[in-house]
Amino acid sequence: MSESMNKQVAISNVIYKASLFLDEHRWDDWLNLCHEDFYYAIKAFSPEINYDMIYMDGNREDMRTITDMLPKHNSDNSPLARHTVVYTVEMDESQDTATAVSSFAVYKTELDGINSHALAGESNIFLVGKYRDKFGFDNGEPFFMERIVQLDTRRLDKGSHFPI
Amino acid sequence: MPARNAKQWDKIPGKIASGEYVDSRIYSDRNIFEEEITKIFKKVWTPVCHESELSEPYSFRTMTVAREPVMVVRGADNQIRAFLNVCPHRGNMIENRPSGSFEQGSPSGAPKHMTCMFHAWQFDMKGNCVHISRGSEGYQDRLACSDVGLRRLRCEVKYGGFVWVTLNDAIDQTVEEWAGGAFDCMEKSLNAEPLEVFHYHKAIIPCNYKLWHDTNSEFYHDYLHYHNRITGFNDSYFARKNIGFDNGHVNVGSFEVQYDQYEGFESREELSFPHLPNNHWEMIDFFPGVNFNLRGSALRCDIMTPLGPDKVMIEFRGLGLKSDTPEERLIRQRHHNSIWGPFGRNLHEDLLAVSTQQATMNEWADKRRILHGRHEVDADGDPTIHDEEGMRHFYDAWGRWMDRWPGDPELSFEEGQKREAA
Repeated sequence: MSESMNKQVAISNVIYKASLFLDEHRWDDWLNLCHEDFYYAIKAFSPEINYDMIYMDGNREDMRTITDMLPKHNSDNSPLARHTVVYTVEMDESQDTATAVSSFAVYKTELDGINSHALAGESNIFLVGKYRDKFGFDNGEPFFMERIVQLDTRRLDKGSHFPI
Repeated sequence: MPARNAKQWDKIPGKIASGEYVDSRIYSDRNIFEEEITKIFKKVWTPVCHESELSEPYSFRTMTVAREPVMVVRGADNQIRAFLNVCPHRGNMIENRPSGSFEQGSPSGAPKHMTCMFHAWQFDMKGNCVHISRGSEGYQDRLACSDVGLRRLRCEVKYGGFVWVTLNDAIDQTVEEWAGGAFDCMEKSLNAEPLEVFHYHKAIIPCNYKLWHDTNSEFYHDYLHYHNRITGFNDSYFARKNIGFDNGHVNVGSFEVQYDQYEGFESREELSFPHLPNNHWEMIDFFPGVNFNLRGSALRCDIMTPLGPDKVMIEFRGLGLKSDTPEERLIRQRHHNSIWGPFGRNLHEDLLAVSTQQATMNEWADKRRILHGRHEVDADGDPTIHDEEGMRHFYDAWGRWMDRWPGDPELSFEEGQKREAA
């Protein structure tokens, strides 16, 4: 396999690894996949107001602050699990960078969000959208430089404290 | 006191008066809900969108008010008008999109017209019918365009460019009269220069609309929010006042938020709204289901559309100044969304709480008393931030509109007052 192919496979692997870390609330492990200049944003286009919106954004330190504070907040702790599919990986050999587009669906399995006796265990789709990621490489290993979570879902109900 | 048996549980706790609680059935009873739609929501003024959402002539927005489909249109003359979004021919919804422009033609209709796609009846931006397909062939002289204009609705653009609509042609108050002075605290800031919506999202929450309004009205739930626990609790915070206005509206007075107490938050000083002291916070709980929340650099507006006794749609908007540079806008977005966005710190906590609150008072649950009896006043006797005067003021207005006593909705308002006096 060529070096470029190896890197493409490595990028797919790191996207899936990040999905598992996010599913499992392994925030430090997730952030360790990200460069110190990492930028994260959740965006959506609103046809209601005809505007590109940024629902949340920050750098790696901002994300660490948010995840560190999670135990201090009251949250719906219903697990969120992603089904992620990497659609495209495009290499820029001259810059030793890459971009990738993945589709995701986030499922919520109810735990304590409303009435656990009746609803706990019920799974529903919470969000769908695309991950638009940028990568750099360190000794051939990819790391996230940027993740844009582009949401299709705009009826967000209770929302979430957790990074998507 | 130990945990109570059923008889003790059913008694009014302590010395709480009958005007200091509501009966949980007002949050769950289907008949009461239907009555609210008819007696309140079909009668009052409500904001439905912001003028910046219809920035150009021929642009439109659609929505529902008290279950009626409504369309708001900006005409060629730049006037904003509201109509029932219903074709007078066969009752079809004329425009299905949430927003857009009539400047371009549609598959069934001409440019610069509202066209019902079903049979291509066309209307101008003032709601006049201007074309009936094969009109004379089908209706001869029995029906003309002049007979079938759209149903126009009273509409005003007021308070920072919000578009207000009522289904009630007979309403005897303007928006300003209906507000009864509730906007005095922020009107200068809202009207200083044009505003623009930069944030919109909606939530459908399994709770009665009043539970959301209650939560916006009472600040005793500060304990729910880590952010408030850290930035809020100081003398000036507790000194904020609840001020009631005619028609059930309430202000929560201003104070300076100490953003530096919360890691990851920055001061809103630089971009505070015009005429708003740095980092200050003003709020209006507007009867029956709207909230305006001006906090430093961003204005939030919640508009509630009740969908059922235990279901409400809340549209959340964030607004900044139209003159913002891209950099300023980005900062305002961050300020707004870090607390109030769908992935922000406070909004999720509030929505979680009202969902679990409604879960205890579903349609089949036993009735119970929901207290709002806190009296926490300053040296002058004025209600302060953790006083629950805001909710009591709301339910006084609600009871009058509904002619029901909130503490026992089987009683008329007058009967309830007599019982309270006794």
